[in-house]
This record gives sequence, C-alpha cells and structure tokens, in this order.
Amino acid sequence: MNIQFYQTILPMLFSGIKLTFMIAIIGILIGIVIASLCGFVLQSNFKIIKIFVEAYIWVIRATPIMVQALYVYYVIPKLIGLDFKANTVGIIVIALNSGAFMSEIIKGALLSIDPGQKEAAVSLGLSNFQTMIHVVIPPAFKIALPGLFNQFIISVKDTALLSVITVNEATHQAQNYAALSFQAIPTYTVLAVFYLVIISVLIILQKWVEKKMG
Amino acid sequence: MIEVRHMKKNFGELEVLRDVNVHIHPGEVVCVIGPSGSGKSTFLRCINQLETATSGEVLYHGENILDKKYDIRKFREEVGMVFQRFNLFPLKTVLENVMLAPVLTKHKSKEEAKRLAMELLEKVGLETKADAYPAMLSGGQQQRVAIARALAMQPQALLFDEPTSALDPELVGDVLNVMRDLAKEGMTMIVVTHEMGFAKEVADRVIFMADGYVVEEGKPSEVLENPKEERTKTFLSRFLTA
Ligand SMILES: Nc1ncnc2c1ncn2[C@@H]1O[C@H](COP(=O)(O)OP(=O)(O)OP(=O)(O)O)[C@@H](O)[C@H]1O
Ligand SMILES: [Mg+2]
Repeated sequence: MNIQFYQTILPMLFSGIKLTFMIAIIGILIGIVIASLCGFVLQSNFKIIKIFVEAYIWVIRATPIMVQALYVYYVIPKLIGLDFKANTVGIIVIALNSGAFMSEIIKGALLSIDPGQKEAAVSLGLSNFQTMIHVVIPPAFKIALPGLFNQFIISVKDTALLSVITVNEATHQAQNYAALSFQAIPTYTVLAVFYLVIISVLIILQKWVEKKMG
Repeated sequence: MIEVRHMKKNFGELEVLRDVNVHIHPGEVVCVIGPSGSGKSTFLRCINQLETATSGEVLYHGENILDKKYDIRKFREEVGMVFQRFNLFPLKTVLENVMLAPVLTKHKSKEEAKRLAMELLEKVGLETKADAYPAMLSGGQQQRVAIARALAMQPQALLFDEPTSALDPELVGDVLNVMRDLAKEGMTMIVVTHEMGFAKEVADRVIFMADGYVVEEGKPSEVLENPKEERTKTFLSRFLTA
C-alpha cells in the first residue's frame, strides 16, 4: 500500500464509475419511457396489451439481473444474428430491468390520483390527452418520484453485476486489478468506499428532492 | 335548451334511472331534490356523459348529444359542472385552476384568460387568493374557486351536484350567495341540493326524484309547500322534523 497503488487504482475506478453512471443514467431514462408506457397500460383497460406487459414484468421479476445480462449478451445475439457491444447490452439490461420495476411504481401513482380531478378536467371540455398531461401526470409524477429515485440508486448498484459480461465499470476494473496485483484487500476496500460515498451522495440528493417536492 | 327524454341508466342489475324526462329552458334555475340513492347525481352525470346512459336522449339546442357522432367536448365546453367535493387541481394555484381550461380548449391567450380569471375570482370574492394553493383554502373557498373555474369557460348553463353538502354549515352561505347572484344574472342552472331554503327562494322549478323517476315537478311553492304526491310529502316531512 503506497502512493503508487492509489495512483493506479483511483483513475481506474474513476473511469469505471463514469461508465457505471453512463450506463445507469441512459438505462434508467429508457427505463422510465418503458415504465411510463407499461404503467399507463396497466391502469387502463387495454386487455390484450396488458397481458404482454404483465408477462414482461413477470419475467424480469422472476429472474436475477445477472442471468438477464448473460442472456442478453450471449444468447439473444445468437438467436437474432446480431452482435452487441457489452456496454450496449449493459444499457439494455438496466433499461429492461428498471423499466419493469418502475412500471408498477407508475401504475400505482396513476391509480392514486383522485378520479374526481379527471372528471373535473373532462367536464371543462379537456380531451383525455390534455387531462392526462395537465391534470393527472403532474401529481402522479410527484407521487412516483421517490420510488423512481430509489430505483435509480438500485440500478447504479446493479451495474456492478454487469462485470459478468465484461462491461468495464468500476467493479470489473477492480476485479481485474486485484487479480493482477494480488492486492485484493486494499483494492476492494477502496471500491467499497467508492460506492459508499457515491450512493450516499445520491441518498442525500433524494432526501433533498423529496423535501423540495413535499 | 336541454331536454332529457326517456333517460334510463342501469349499473349492472341496478336500475338507477328508469324513465326520466326533463326539459330545461334558457335562464331557468331548476333544483333537483330527492332521497339519497335516488339517482340525482347519476342524472347529472349522464347529461354530460361522465356516465353513459343506458338509453334515452339528451337534446341540446335540438341536437342529440348522446349520439356517438356528437363530440361531447363541445357540450362540456358550454355546460359546466360543479362537484360536491370541489375537485380542484391540487398542484395548481387558484388562478391556474381557473385559467387552465380556457387556455387549453378555447385557445385564449394567457393574458386574456388571466384577466377573465381575475374578474371571476373577484366575483366570487377570492381575488386575494389567486396565488394560493387549494389545500390552503377552506371548503367554502374551494367551492367558490370551482364555480369560478366553471364560469371561466363562459358556459351557457351549469350543473351543480350538491355543491354545499361537503361544507361546514357556516361556509354554506357564501357559496349559496354566489349561486344566487348567478341566478339573478340569468344563468341556466340545474342544481341538485338539499338546501330547501335556497330552492324555495331561487328555483324557478323544483323536481322531486325518487326510485328512478321524476315523481313531481313544479314551482317551488307547489312542490315544496303543497306537494301532491304521497312520496314527496314523506320526503319533505323528514326535512321539517330534521
Ligand atoms: N359507478 C357506479 N357503479 C355502481 N353503482 C352506482 C354507481 N354510481 C352510483 N351507483 C348507485 O346508483 C344509485 C344512485 O346513485 P346516485 O349517486 O345517483 O344517487 P343520489 O341521488 O345522487 O344520492 P345522494 O343524495 O346520496 O348523492 C345508488 O344506489 C348508487 O349506489
Ligand atoms: Mg349524489
């Protein structure tokens, strides 16, 4: 353990954490789009589409995210004859995984809006679409926000599991370094502290946003 | 102006409206009274199609608005509704609540909508609350905002569903005063209410509904003071003793 150790490990972890965040943020943004569509379907009466959405959520909930990553990286490309980069697969997996969990959050938020407000809006001559955009979504978003933020934190941590498909995020970098340098104890300690600090910042941010919105 | 013909409404097995016929003329104030569960709310909600009537017609200026080809938004823009529980939009200020629909549906400019909204808030005595949020207001104030919101569409008529039933007794008066002013200005109104004093004073006509029918209708002095039907007498006697 010396200066040189830190000079090597810290830049690696920083570049790894950048990738972690890139994958988590893009993944969760796509996830929110998926979840908004699925959440809307779940609280509607589109019976047939609903079955597909429920099947998707069931598959995601009933399999570990690591297996999902392995499947999308090693199996799906063979089935459809296309190759994806590991990072792309990472984003797809985070998006599909967080999308399924956030669908339930968004469905619940939409259902929690008092139907009287929708009735008031359409009684004023607003279209269903205008009612959704101006009357239902703003309070529903406020209700969903803590849950969505929570999923974001989970997804940031889930990116560590993408090391199994060779995504070069922080955990994967640390694994490589520990194996080559035989310095498992300091490497993983630094890695753990790294996550601890970053996730703590996110938790503080979450509290702050919640207070701001409440 | 609004003519309801042979309106029927079932909820599954339950026949709530069996055969309702009502004709509302321009400028008329019609109060609808009747026991709880007799279908008064359902009647109003079937008119502006918050509920879909099982059968029957609603003619508005001669056009059947229950017809699938009719765009109900047009009717809703012209005939507003005020709810028992106010139903204000909680994340919008009072002013935003009142401005929203005119801006979205009538393509009024924001400035124009704002001017009208402030005028209406003044009319209901709440111009100082323009920037408040609904949760900061009393029930009576919220209901007056809801009335201003409905008026912002410059409606031809208004439907009221027990507008004072969710209010503390001391707040009822302010809301009724606003409604009284509207009646004086010639607004066409259908008011479901338990406020017999208001009905007596303001209504041009009172309709007594029970068991899915209009049992009796006529001038307030007739229906409320000299009811002909046994059913009406029983209902009113409960109010006198209450
Ligand atoms: N959406 C619904 N689904 C099933 N039944 C309903 C529905 N809405 C109303 N009903 C039933 O229809 C009947 C009439 O209800 P409605 O609300 O029209 O009565 P009301 O005369 O307005 O009563 P109140 O004075 O209590 O407001 C009641 O028995 C009620 O339970
Ligand atoms: Mg009712």
